[in-house]
Amino acid sequence: MATALPTPVTVDYAGGTLAREQVSLWRDGLRRLRRNKLALGAVIYLVVLALVCLVSLFWTPYEPNVIGTCQTYQLPTAMHPLGCDDLGRDSLSRLMVGSQVSLAVGLATAFIVLVVGVVVGLVAGYFRGTADAIISLLINIFYGVPPLLVAVALYVLLGSGLINIIIAISATVWMDMARLARGQALSLREREFVEAARAGGARWGKIVFGHILPNALGPIIVQATFVIPIAILTAAFLTFLGFGVPPPTADWGGMANEGLSSLQGGFDPYILLWPAVALSLTLLAFNFFGDGLRDAFDPRQKR
Amino acid sequence: MVTRGTLIYIGQRLVLIAFTVLVVSFGVFAVVHSLPGNAFVSDRVHGRALQILLHEYGLDQPIPVQYWSFLRGAVHGDLGVSLYVRGLPITPLVLRELSVSALLGGSALIVTIGLGVTFGVLAAVRQNSWVDYLLTSIAVVGYSVPSFVIASLGILIFGQWLNNITNGAVFYPEPWTGNYGTLTELSLPAIALGFYSSGQITRMTRAAMLDVFQQDYIRTARAKGLQNRIVVLRHALRNALVPVTSILGPTIIGVVTGSVVIENIFGIPGLGKEFVESIFQHDYNVTVGVFTIYAVLIGVANLAVDLVYTVIDPRIRY
Repeated sequence: MATALPTPVTVDYAGGTLAREQVSLWRDGLRRLRRNKLALGAVIYLVVLALVCLVSLFWTPYEPNVIGTCQTYQLPTAMHPLGCDDLGRDSLSRLMVGSQVSLAVGLATAFIVLVVGVVVGLVAGYFRGTADAIISLLINIFYGVPPLLVAVALYVLLGSGLINIIIAISATVWMDMARLARGQALSLREREFVEAARAGGARWGKIVFGHILPNALGPIIVQATFVIPIAILTAAFLTFLGFGVPPPTADWGGMANEGLSSLQGGFDPYILLWPAVALSLTLLAFNFFGDGLRDAFDPRQKR
Repeated sequence: MVTRGTLIYIGQRLVLIAFTVLVVSFGVFAVVHSLPGNAFVSDRVHGRALQILLHEYGLDQPIPVQYWSFLRGAVHGDLGVSLYVRGLPITPLVLRELSVSALLGGSALIVTIGLGVTFGVLAAVRQNSWVDYLLTSIAVVGYSVPSFVIASLGILIFGQWLNNITNGAVFYPEPWTGNYGTLTELSLPAIALGFYSSGQITRMTRAAMLDVFQQDYIRTARAKGLQNRIVVLRHALRNALVPVTSILGPTIIGVVTGSVVIENIFGIPGLGKEFVESIFQHDYNVTVGVFTIYAVLIGVANLAVDLVYTVIDPRIRY
């Protein structure tokens, strides 16, 4: 019975190829996700954001890094809908470009954490023993230090730049994923289908990634989506503190920092407001999306 | 109450804390010492004079040797001297900053737990009403909006608008004047810092309360004709707080992390501000010292949370 069950995860076009009629994990989840208004709104916002980000790669209303496209601290006008910053750069253009850093950091970190956390966690959970002991100790050590501080130290070690921010943040947020994957592997390895696979002579790589991983995929994907806002938030903290992408490049955390100093210098709050709103909305959207995904794909978990 | 098993458990945890602190301090030590540049750059010291300075502070020795002498001092409570403010002993400095950060963090935790538990209970009691939706939305906003955004908005509203409206009679003063700040000065940073984690506590409390409401003893209490208030606050909340306690550890880490940013915004002379400054100033010894203190702090805080767990819920034994 256990071996006869096809793993529905790999089926993203259920209906045609399968003999047995069934709704795939994806289709079932998507159906539930679509009913969730909040998550749907979040998805729409994120799609718009992704489009803005793509557009900003090729076109912005003004050159985002050129000083003096307009007056410093200019209030919003028809020409410059969001006004200008302390160096006379167009705020809208900078806001658009700033989305690149946030999205890149969020998605890349989630991907790295997904790969590293899942592999490390599954290996620890499947083999138990020494491997598990070492990995668990490592997880505990990382839990024992504030993530932001580790990220700052790593960032300083690696030097500035987008890739280094991503690496530094990945190193501080992989533990939750590893712990989740470990727990899944610990419980799934005792199930009959794993035993059947082992009896059938499957090697450990096939068992772990071919049998255990697909069955743990729901919660793992949900966890991965929650990594995105955490990574964006950490990146914003880093850049806000001054450990960010090199200066002329716009990013929301750095813009908020400039905005705050402008505000404290007695200027209008717009420079602060835009990146703050963009950052907050983006994080909200990713969190709502994650919540929606969790309710859709992982119904056993409590809200 | 305190059994042999508990003591063994505490012992094991202390060993783990010591090990973590050792690994963390060595890691950070190795990282900061391999960085380009040094604390004397801003003094424009070069050549022979620089060599003498480096030698004086032992910076010309191999890293393991330097770490060993750091460790020897650290176990005696001496974290070395600052390189930026040359010769300033770090331990008293860091301890004073720790007390400032602890005051801020403690106030923030009160905000976090107070808000989180109150909102969580209210949302659970009025499940699926507009109160529930409002409070759970506030919770998501709480952990979505970065603390520096909330802090900035606070400064904007209370530091500037209120100042303009009342002609300077009522406003939020910043940056901090003294070491510890006044109650007014403390309020805004504490709220900005505490609000973030309160969202998680709200959700956790709500979920736990709803879970407890399903249990038989609650139905019994209601069947006895007990007032709803007493059922909720005295019977349900006590048990609902058990799972909530379990996320206090991450909450404390969140507050510590947030405090780094908040302290820099409000100019609060705490550990977090010192940490960022020490990085920019290449003041290695201070960086390592602050990291070490944080690692000890978090280890002890996590252990304390786990022990509190056994007090709240006698079923849990180690």
